[in-house]
Amino acid sequence: MGLLSDPSLTPRGKFGRTLAKHSGKISLFFYIAGLAWFVCLSHPEFSHGTYLSENALSPGLVDPEIGQDSLRLAQSLYEELQRERTEHKSTTPHAWIAAKMHQIGLETHVHNFTLRYPFSAGKEYHGKNVYGILRAPRVSSTEGVVYAAPYRAVNSVHVDITASVPILLAFADFARKKNYWAKDLVFLVTEQEQLGMHAWLEAYHEGGIRDSPILRCGNLPARAGALQAALNLEVQDLDIDYIDVKIEGLNGQLPNLDMFNLVQRLTSRSSLSSGYKHSPRKKRRSHRGSLEDNLRHMLEMLKIQATGVPNGNHGLFHRYRIESLTLEAVKRTTNTNNNNRYGSGLSLLKTIEGISRSLNNLLERFHQSYFFYILVQNDRFVSIGDYMPCLIALASPMFIKAFLLWLTTTATTDETVSEDDSVPSHDEEKPPIQLPYISVVLFMVSALLLGFLCNTLPFSQHVRDYFTSMGVSTEMSVGLILGVQVLLGTLLPLFYTLPEHGLELLHIGVLIFMGVTLIVTGLLNFALGFILAVIISPLTILLNNEHSKGFRQNLTRLYTFLLNPIVIIYLLILWLTLFEFPELSFAELGMRALKASLDAITFGLMDSIIYGNWLYTAIAAIYFPLWILLWTLSLGRQNLITQLEKKTN
Amino acid sequence: MELKIKIICFIALLVSPIGAVKEFSEFHEELYIRPTSSGHVNTFFQFTTRWHYGDRENLHNTQLIPRPIAETLLLYDVKELHIGLTQGLWRYETFGYPVVDSAPGAEVRAWFAAENLTSADVDDQWTKLASTFSGILCASLNFIDKTNSVEPKYSFRPTFATGSKVNVPQFVRYATLPREIVCTENLTPWKKLLPCNSKQSFASLLNSGYVHNTNYHSLGMKMRTICESHNTNCILEFTETANMVYDPKLLGANGDFSLRRLFGQGLNGHCALAKSSKIYVNLDDQSYDLTPLPMYNTTSKRGGSTSTFGVYDIQRLDGDKLFNIAWIKSKNNKPSILLTPPPPLYAHRYILGHGQERGQIVTQITNKHYHALPIVFQENIPWFVPSYMHTLKLIVQPSNGVEYQIQPRVMHYIPGVQRVRPYHLELLFEIPAMSTVQISFDFDYIFLKWLEYPPDANHGHYLGSAIITTQLPIGRNYTAIPIDKHLFVDSFNATRSSYFLEIRTESLILSLPTPDFSMPYNVICLACTVVALAFGPIHSVATKRIVIEQKDGQPQSLKGKVLQKLFRRKQNNAGNSTKEVEQHEKLLFGQAAADISIRKN
Repeated sequence: MGLLSDPSLTPRGKFGRTLAKHSGKISLFFYIAGLAWFVCLSHPEFSHGTYLSENALSPGLVDPEIGQDSLRLAQSLYEELQRERTEHKSTTPHAWIAAKMHQIGLETHVHNFTLRYPFSAGKEYHGKNVYGILRAPRVSSTEGVVYAAPYRAVNSVHVDITASVPILLAFADFARKKNYWAKDLVFLVTEQEQLGMHAWLEAYHEGGIRDSPILRCGNLPARAGALQAALNLEVQDLDIDYIDVKIEGLNGQLPNLDMFNLVQRLTSRSSLSSGYKHSPRKKRRSHRGSLEDNLRHMLEMLKIQATGVPNGNHGLFHRYRIESLTLEAVKRTTNTNNNNRYGSGLSLLKTIEGISRSLNNLLERFHQSYFFYILVQNDRFVSIGDYMPCLIALASPMFIKAFLLWLTTTATTDETVSEDDSVPSHDEEKPPIQLPYISVVLFMVSALLLGFLCNTLPFSQHVRDYFTSMGVSTEMSVGLILGVQVLLGTLLPLFYTLPEHGLELLHIGVLIFMGVTLIVTGLLNFALGFILAVIISPLTILLNNEHSKGFRQNLTRLYTFLLNPIVIIYLLILWLTLFEFPELSFAELGMRALKASLDAITFGLMDSIIYGNWLYTAIAAIYFPLWILLWTLSLGRQNLITQLEKKTN
Repeated sequence: MELKIKIICFIALLVSPIGAVKEFSEFHEELYIRPTSSGHVNTFFQFTTRWHYGDRENLHNTQLIPRPIAETLLLYDVKELHIGLTQGLWRYETFGYPVVDSAPGAEVRAWFAAENLTSADVDDQWTKLASTFSGILCASLNFIDKTNSVEPKYSFRPTFATGSKVNVPQFVRYATLPREIVCTENLTPWKKLLPCNSKQSFASLLNSGYVHNTNYHSLGMKMRTICESHNTNCILEFTETANMVYDPKLLGANGDFSLRRLFGQGLNGHCALAKSSKIYVNLDDQSYDLTPLPMYNTTSKRGGSTSTFGVYDIQRLDGDKLFNIAWIKSKNNKPSILLTPPPPLYAHRYILGHGQERGQIVTQITNKHYHALPIVFQENIPWFVPSYMHTLKLIVQPSNGVEYQIQPRVMHYIPGVQRVRPYHLELLFEIPAMSTVQISFDFDYIFLKWLEYPPDANHGHYLGSAIITTQLPIGRNYTAIPIDKHLFVDSFNATRSSYFLEIRTESLILSLPTPDFSMPYNVICLACTVVALAFGPIHSVATKRIVIEQKDGQPQSLKGKVLQKLFRRKQNNAGNSTKEVEQHEKLLFGQAAADISIRKN
């Protein structure tokens, strides 16, 4: 506190006073600087070209050996599987897959898992994953690499990716005949989208010992040591137009940049058009490498990362420190090259072979290249050191303003005293300023308590059971719990009256709290931290201690109200619904959006319970209390009361 | 204990055949080939030398036994020694049980016995012995020391006999190096220990190009002494084994195989020094036709199961032609999937948990037998894996039923000390019939000192296999040689009341938290730059000195000037700063008219 009580820093000093006067402008400057920095990152001058750091990978060192016979096998397996699919409309043909794996000569096992839907009691979903392990002859099963293909049943709402399984099996058949494997190869076919993969990974790493009552994964009958990397295949057809590489994982985690580069190198070697957020051929030509295209790329990446929901099965591996990504091979829609049909299928197989050979060469875990980056283009990236400053710039005005506020708050009493006495030497005998620390801290704690309740009540089994017994639907019960909390939060400033100077102190506390929260969030998940900073930071500029009335205060109140997590979700979904169903009337739209936002909240909750996505937790436990505090500030009730008191006096 | 009584019986059996036979030495070479139910081919070479050397002094005159082996007996009090160098993992569920079991990597165990032998002596001898064999086999056995050796109490039983009536103290030491990679450099010295040249006889089949292309290969060495009385009338048994598993699918050609295909060449005769040279072929799997047919067949009944072996006596062969045996898939046999029952006991081990804070090591032992089996379980955890035995749990999962927890009957645990000794755990318990026991305990991930990381720190650290020993009541899948015998052929018809079985689990890889090793490099770069930039000014400030120099004290004459210049240069070259400064100080105090100048040393 020596620094804070340094007399040279009080607003008596010219510098401090000037700064305090212009704190709004300083905040605005930093806000604009942060955004400008981000936009600048899309310029090629600010991004780096990608390169491979791990020499052991040496992509393309070996010539591809996989040939037409493997592609033919894939084709015949594809036809067989299509026949199987006519009999299994809603399930996976486990027996067929297991039989094929066994025939190839893999050590085949089946893994069962059960999901007990946490809300409506009694509902159970059963699933089965089939996997085959090719035991590497060179090693005693200490390390392994996973090659996974999700299977989607016929009645799935998602894109048909049936061809992944034949491609996987054809590659397994090729790999079985080679003796150079130094890591066990696990060929895994999962079902029920990410749930199957999650269950398999949980079973692999927790062994059913730490099973939650919701997802019962049990144990695996066989393992392949420490998994080093994973490749997920989503192949729409054997005739491929291009490959889209998907990397975003759970909670915004990314695979090592080397893994991404490896895939890029090998796909370009086998003359496949591929890339990150790749587009079909027609669109590809129109804009390439322009500034706004780069910016769009970056923003799209941030958008997916911010939700924390993986955009493929690969995203679940990252938590276990297994580098993984998805190759989404998109079906060709134009019939331009009919005589060389399936030629691209062979290229895909060659790519997979190349990736597997490189991963096989790996002596150490991926550790060399970047884990934190934003891709600007397929071959350009921004590293953490370059993108972090924009978040810092967005968050720093909060600290600066908090400090300046501290100075003015301590000085207002100073000035009144010195004006009365007009003798500067009396300063030393002044009583220390009494700030209502306890009541402000209590207020903050009560706000955090509401956040805590938001976070525990929907997770508690008893509450869930109670609502189910009452016959309330899941979405309604979650909505009800959260709605009550939000209402309490909105009304909290009315119940709780802060004493004199309480609002100023609260303002300082909130600014520091906000700044710290944003930076911590940004460290864990940059995208989420950045987006939150962009929408919350303007409040730092708007909120003002000198209570300007009229337009500005109303604007602040409106903006704070819009920042309420539930309001944001509702507005976002309303916006999306408007695009999805433009024919509906406004009232219908509103109702539909309400239902959809309740669904969205429930899904967020589900993600957090089943997969461990912490978006819900962060919003409910940190940002909701923060909102309550900001709301209190924007209402500025304490001042009204003090003004009234003054008048009566 | 029951086990101990049995051991005493065995020792009695061992000593009995010695009798008063004169000094002799004999050499046997054997090859056993068995196609497994999974389609793999197991080939097992055993070269046995048995030398009745009598007294200790005779050890100086070796014949068939390699001299270094005999000399170890003279130097150390070692009575029994097992070394295994293994690449790959023996998969019990598909391969059955091996004749000699071995853990991945290098594995050494030795028994020491002598009068007045102390544990400290044994520790010393143990490291020296390991270093000796490190040289003999070109393996990294010299890394065996107190930090990775344990003293198992229950897991191993001695197979040597001192014959002494006095109670001689016995010590056992055991260590594994799971990281060790077995290669040609180990195979060549291993072959050189054989009495015949490696170009002749069975050893000629062991070509490194083929041996190292297998799914599993294990070089073994076993030495033991059997004495009638203390250090007199002794027999030294020295056995070298090579155990390999081939995958015919990788050899090409639809599942047929032959000696030539497995080893790269046919057999070029037998060792002239060998008393017997025989190839045994397992004929239980009827799906192959053999060419040429075995010279004779023999049936072995052991522990309730019957096996048929075809025998080729190589010494009875004549001619210079390379001898080859071919296994051809019989045409009349339909390619059916043989449902061979899994072996009665097998085990797996894995690490659970994620993150870099806490983990769990789990060993899963499965009993497929219809009786409960007594188990001795041994863990040897390196010192850098702090394990918590209060979290030790034995959970029984019956194949149908609810799981429950059991307590070990005996627990022998020596906690590890960081950088001093490993964690050693031995458990005795009974595994119920048709069930799986899960042994689990927690451990912490720790940071090591930065020099303790291997060069490839991010590869992970190895944890050696756990060892499970038991007494099997049946002999199905069991091919080990009985303790009182020494040849593979002795395992035929060797029915005993129980069969001592040793199995090993996988070795594990553990990714310890690794510092960013480029960070010290960056720090060094930065520090060097800072030092380099700072050095110049600091050095000049520290060493420059303000001195007052005489300006007009120069001699007037030409001679004087020249002399002074020469004198100065000399002084400068000598670089003796203190003298110079002293002189200047004299000047300073001596002269009234002075001028300030800065002078560099």
